[in-house]
Amino acid sequence: MSFKALCQAVESGNTSEAEDITRKLLDEGKEPLEMIAALTETMNKLGELFARLEIFLPQLILSGEALKAVVDILRPKIMETGEQEAPKGKVVIGVVKGDLHEIGKNIVKLMLETNGFEVKDLGYDVDSLTFIKEAEAMGADIIGASSLMTTTMPGQKEIIELLKDKGIRDRYKVVIGGAPTGKEWADQIGADLWCEEASSAPRMMAELLGK
Amino acid sequence: MSTPYRLWEILQRSNTGPYYDEDDFLPKIFTPKLQDVIKKYEITYDPKTPVPTDDDLADRVWQAGWELFREVGLYNTDTHRIIQISDDEIKEALYMTTGAYWVGAGKDAVLWKHRQVEDREPPFCIFSPDITCDENLHHSVCLAYLKEPLLDGFCAPILEDSIGQKISSGSPTEINGCTQHIYNLRLAAKQVGRPGVFFVAVGTAEHDTGQIAVSDNEWGVRTTDSRLVGTLTEFKTANTLLNRVTHYAQYGCYTGNLTGPIYGGWCMGSEGVAVTLVAYSLSGLCIHGAIYNQHFPFHLHWGSNTTRELLWPISVAGQAMARNSKLLHTSNGFANAGPMTEMVLYETACHALVSTVSGWHLWEMASARNKYRNRATPMEARIGMEVGHAVAGQGMTREQANELALRLLSKYEDKAADAPMGKEYPECYDVATALPTPEHFDMYRRVKDELAEIGIEFPY
Repeated sequence: MSFKALCQAVESGNTSEAEDITRKLLDEGKEPLEMIAALTETMNKLGELFARLEIFLPQLILSGEALKAVVDILRPKIMETGEQEAPKGKVVIGVVKGDLHEIGKNIVKLMLETNGFEVKDLGYDVDSLTFIKEAEAMGADIIGASSLMTTTMPGQKEIIELLKDKGIRDRYKVVIGGAPTGKEWADQIGADLWCEEASSAPRMMAELLGK
Repeated sequence: MSTPYRLWEILQRSNTGPYYDEDDFLPKIFTPKLQDVIKKYEITYDPKTPVPTDDDLADRVWQAGWELFREVGLYNTDTHRIIQISDDEIKEALYMTTGAYWVGAGKDAVLWKHRQVEDREPPFCIFSPDITCDENLHHSVCLAYLKEPLLDGFCAPILEDSIGQKISSGSPTEINGCTQHIYNLRLAAKQVGRPGVFFVAVGTAEHDTGQIAVSDNEWGVRTTDSRLVGTLTEFKTANTLLNRVTHYAQYGCYTGNLTGPIYGGWCMGSEGVAVTLVAYSLSGLCIHGAIYNQHFPFHLHWGSNTTRELLWPISVAGQAMARNSKLLHTSNGFANAGPMTEMVLYETACHALVSTVSGWHLWEMASARNKYRNRATPMEARIGMEVGHAVAGQGMTREQANELALRLLSKYEDKAADAPMGKEYPECYDVATALPTPEHFDMYRRVKDELAEIGIEFPY
């Protein structure tokens, strides 16, 4: 079995095949971290193809699920060796109150997960206080709030206002995104970062955390 | 509503339909079924032909869309159950569709009729900037659009603020914003002498309470007007949307079905977008009781639909619905470029050309990807509607439209990703008189002359 076969299985979104190959590679004594490195390269390539829409969302999602299944197998092995890298950051992410549109948020979540972030997805129509409570429970570094409608954008501002009122604004970086949002709005409400599109979100958030 | 007698039987399926986990609905039901029907009905995108002429292809897209809707249904995210509709119910609803409705009131009432492929009847023209605008500009923008000669209906820009307060969905500010929205609209319509003109209103309402608050035949949204019910992409609904279905049916206004299948998203490529458009039309008819479908398929990254990968599904889905039903459907353009750029005028002309010859009615034009406040004007919509009237009037064929579309695409397609954002309404229009600046009008006139030179026979 080769790393190439593993990467191809993940690329085609074939979870069971990817799991089988992973186990065989482990039996052959291959290094888990080397597998992770190869798969990271594969996911980066898929991300670039998706940015040009040479592949579509379902394929990206399936590949992401296959990758997660592989990582679930590898994680205990990596922990045994004590070589596990800490996540680049912990993120709670969701769509703000009153807004039911979540495709953009789901793509960002996938990009973050496949780039070494630990993500808790809060779904859509999420109350501002829920963002904060979930961030506290997770020990998150970042609160990511998406909005697709102009009339739900105030929900992003509300999260920041509540953080200030609770005296914990400095504890979290607040990142916003969504079609009607922009840099101007992010600056106006005091967000730490505005993400224009999904593919650059992992890099921008890592930079925000100084990583 | 075309099927009001089924309202409660169908809505009840939100509680009695099959349970499914929301996370699995799109990856395990919707997309696999869509892939199946694309393969079964041998639907293949051809980038060289943005306006296909293959009637059999259009009919296969119709069959695929029908099968997709019947098999997938509509997922209610509040109850986690799927509303399913049978073949017999779809057939019955299609039979009960009259294919023509009088909309608007008094002397401003207009008969809105089903169109065929290459129909010589002009498209029904709904002008809409599809953007948000400043509170102090809203009335002027309404006036500017309502002055447009070819306007059959109007959907006004969305307010972000009301009485200086940010409108927040589901809050009292939204009800206030919706009230201000419809009052501005009614005042503007009266001032331009079109008091009964057909409105699709009010876009400021994201939540059902905002819509319901402005239903009033004296000062608000009338029963001769229309309201939209959206669908969450793809094929999901929620009680806040079904509340609108119920209210509009009981209030008695015209319901429109609003959908935007996403190219690159769960419906994948051009073939999937075409099939999904048809399926959404049947969903709108059977579940929302819509008398028309308002479709805005768009590119996942760009948020536009004037490039060929979107024009092809618009064309083929329009032909499918025109040939196989009496449905009314509007094609909602989303341009990459912003106002007072030549690019937005070419994009709108191309979108209107392709849509009109393929049997659609027109809903133009979301400029600058409808993303930026104040960035839309009536002039880009005007050129689209004039192209629509011209194309129908001269009896343009799909072959001719395809050739012209390719010529227009060559002017802007390579700039789609980095299109100019153009200017804001006050830079293009005199806000007090609601008339275009000479510079803005001249640009429109130049492009119109250019379009005439390549074969579009404008009536005036």
